[in-house]
Amino acid sequence: MAVSRRAFYGVIHRQPLLFQSTLKCSAILSTRSIYERDYRRPGQPPDTRWPWQKIHFDFSKGVEGIKNHIGLLKDEFVQRWTGPEGRPLLEHMLEQTRVQWEFRGPESLDQWVVSSDQEIGGHSVAYIKLGKNNTTCFLYGTLCSTPPRDGETRYSGYCTLRSKQPLASFDRKKHYDWSSFNTLHMRIRGDGRPWMIPFSKFFLSSRGRIQDNQHVLWLDKVKSIGFTLGDKADGPFQLEIDFIGLCNDLAHTEEFAYELYKRNPEV
Amino acid sequence: MNAPRHLFRIQCIGCVSRFLGTPVQRVILTGGAHLQTPGSHYSNGQFLRPFHCSAVCSTSRPNQTEFEKAVEHQMQHKDKTLVTHDDLFERAARDSKTKADFNRVVDVFNKADIRRRGHVEFIYAALKKMPEFGVERDITVYNKLLDVFPKEVFVPQNFIQRMFNHYPRQQECGVQLLEQMENYGIMPNVETKVLLAQIFGEKSHPMRKYQRIMYWFPKFKHANPFPIPHVLPSDPVELARFSLTRIADGLDAKVTVYQYPSTDITETGEEVTHPHIIGIQSPDQRSLLAKHNPCRPVYVEGPFPLWLRKTCVHYFLLRADPIPPEEKVEEDFDPEMIGPEQSLFYPQRVELDLERDFGDDESFYVDDVEEGAVYAMCMAGQGDQATLSQWISGLQETCPILGQIPTVFRLESGPRELQTSSDAQQTPEQEVEIDQIIEEDPQRTQGVNQ
Repeated sequence: MAVSRRAFYGVIHRQPLLFQSTLKCSAILSTRSIYERDYRRPGQPPDTRWPWQKIHFDFSKGVEGIKNHIGLLKDEFVQRWTGPEGRPLLEHMLEQTRVQWEFRGPESLDQWVVSSDQEIGGHSVAYIKLGKNNTTCFLYGTLCSTPPRDGETRYSGYCTLRSKQPLASFDRKKHYDWSSFNTLHMRIRGDGRPWMIPFSKFFLSSRGRIQDNQHVLWLDKVKSIGFTLGDKADGPFQLEIDFIGLCNDLAHTEEFAYELYKRNPEV
Repeated sequence: MNAPRHLFRIQCIGCVSRFLGTPVQRVILTGGAHLQTPGSHYSNGQFLRPFHCSAVCSTSRPNQTEFEKAVEHQMQHKDKTLVTHDDLFERAARDSKTKADFNRVVDVFNKADIRRRGHVEFIYAALKKMPEFGVERDITVYNKLLDVFPKEVFVPQNFIQRMFNHYPRQQECGVQLLEQMENYGIMPNVETKVLLAQIFGEKSHPMRKYQRIMYWFPKFKHANPFPIPHVLPSDPVELARFSLTRIADGLDAKVTVYQYPSTDITETGEEVTHPHIIGIQSPDQRSLLAKHNPCRPVYVEGPFPLWLRKTCVHYFLLRADPIPPEEKVEEDFDPEMIGPEQSLFYPQRVELDLERDFGDDESFYVDDVEEGAVYAMCMAGQGDQATLSQWISGLQETCPILGQIPTVFRLESGPRELQTSSDAQQTPEQEVEIDQIIEEDPQRTQGVNQ
């Protein structure tokens, strides 16, 4: 479980943002899959139900699901004849940039999950909505780093926007394969400039702690991407994202920014 | 009738009870009662001395302050240690809360008991009180707190001790102290390392934590290419200038102070405060504004937040709607720059990016988001329309076209607690006429950029 919760974080800073707008839609959802146990808050009784007691049988939902999954399965078989990932081989090989996520309508927000420290009992709130002209994703809310009064939790105060993991038919997990790129390219509301983060700068951390054993990011096994705000500056925040893309920056040759040849700290 | 013998007796009774089971319970109770009598006798007479306490520390020193006496009295009559240590700090903080007071409390604790009894609780209490005393960013205070740990007691002596978690509570406490340093961004120094090695040994958990901090801190120290100083300028004008140059990071952008903060007293005796208005505009923005179609309005929008570490300031924008496609004018390049008479070897205009190869493709297949131009930005002491129209009239001096363009104010009633305290401390020589405009080069006056 610890391995599956691990995440790579890049170094992003809180940037000044320019505009605001007024549409509203979203709620706080759980970010865990069914195989990972939910975070159990201190003082809460453990969930003692059997796995079959958690199944809610619904006929119409089942029909819907079968239709959906058969469609996905058909895509998987048919797309293979066109080329890898359903695109022609030449396009796949010559690709230098790719727009992975763009926000151009309400359905683009369904691929993202917003969560905050309310799941551990904190008081931060975070919402997501479409920005001006429905062309951006607007993340906003209030950060509050007062820890919950349960006697165990010492730190609190985070808000997260995280993409959902892509699923193949019958809920098999898929991964993004970004091995032909080396840089994350984002257009964020700051001063209009794109923010590029090379993948070599990402470091391995688990539950907010940097790990001793570092490793280069496995670009063919990317589950999701997330933006976390936790700078302990209580107050409102906002982030506006236009698109998130990938590019191959040939001027950047670094593979990994941190030492791999010895463990830190040395044993 | 000495205490160790009583302890021994209790242990014996415990052993017996384990063998015999329930019937001995009553015997233990009586044994306990038997033990309690001399204790209460002690507390009636003098102080209750702990078992391992040496007699040296209990002798009262001649030159004790009243505070120290009270603390010592409290230390000896403690029942719940954590509460007592919190009390200890509160007692010291009654008159003033400074670094000296904090150090005094630590000194008193060090002197009170040679064994440093209850030091883990004391350190936890001290860590909690540090922000209150304003010493949470002081490395010497952290080292002084580490010094409270007794030396060489918790160092593992053999491989079995080293393998198992030797003195776990103390090690946890040490890690907690280092973690607080980490959270406040304090880098440990050599003294910290020496202390940790003396207290916990070379391969203990606090030592590991120290090594981790020393590995990662320098790596992330300069990760932010636009660093913010820890202490922001207290003058609102300076703060606004710093923030504006931070947003509009152009070398040729001009910061203009349209109005200094001042307080006038009118003839009727009312106090009129003039808030500060500071704007920034680059030459590009100025030329864009000069080309603006006067039929279309420009908007003054805001306030928008800008975070400088833990401080939030607000700014306002002068912007326009995006130009509709039918009104767009294709701008030709200057024919002198690209004409055939240009030298082939020294062209005036080069479209090559020397870092890129010819096959490199940097464009994204994504619809461009069209947005209107931002013509100027400002920060003001008050976010009302009267103040901002002063800014617009100040802008008109450099951009006369702004007088013909209708200006629409779209202001939101956001949080406006902006530099409240510093407005009061203005000196009279800073009072300047309202429309006086002072232009400065932001880059040269920017002493704050590290």
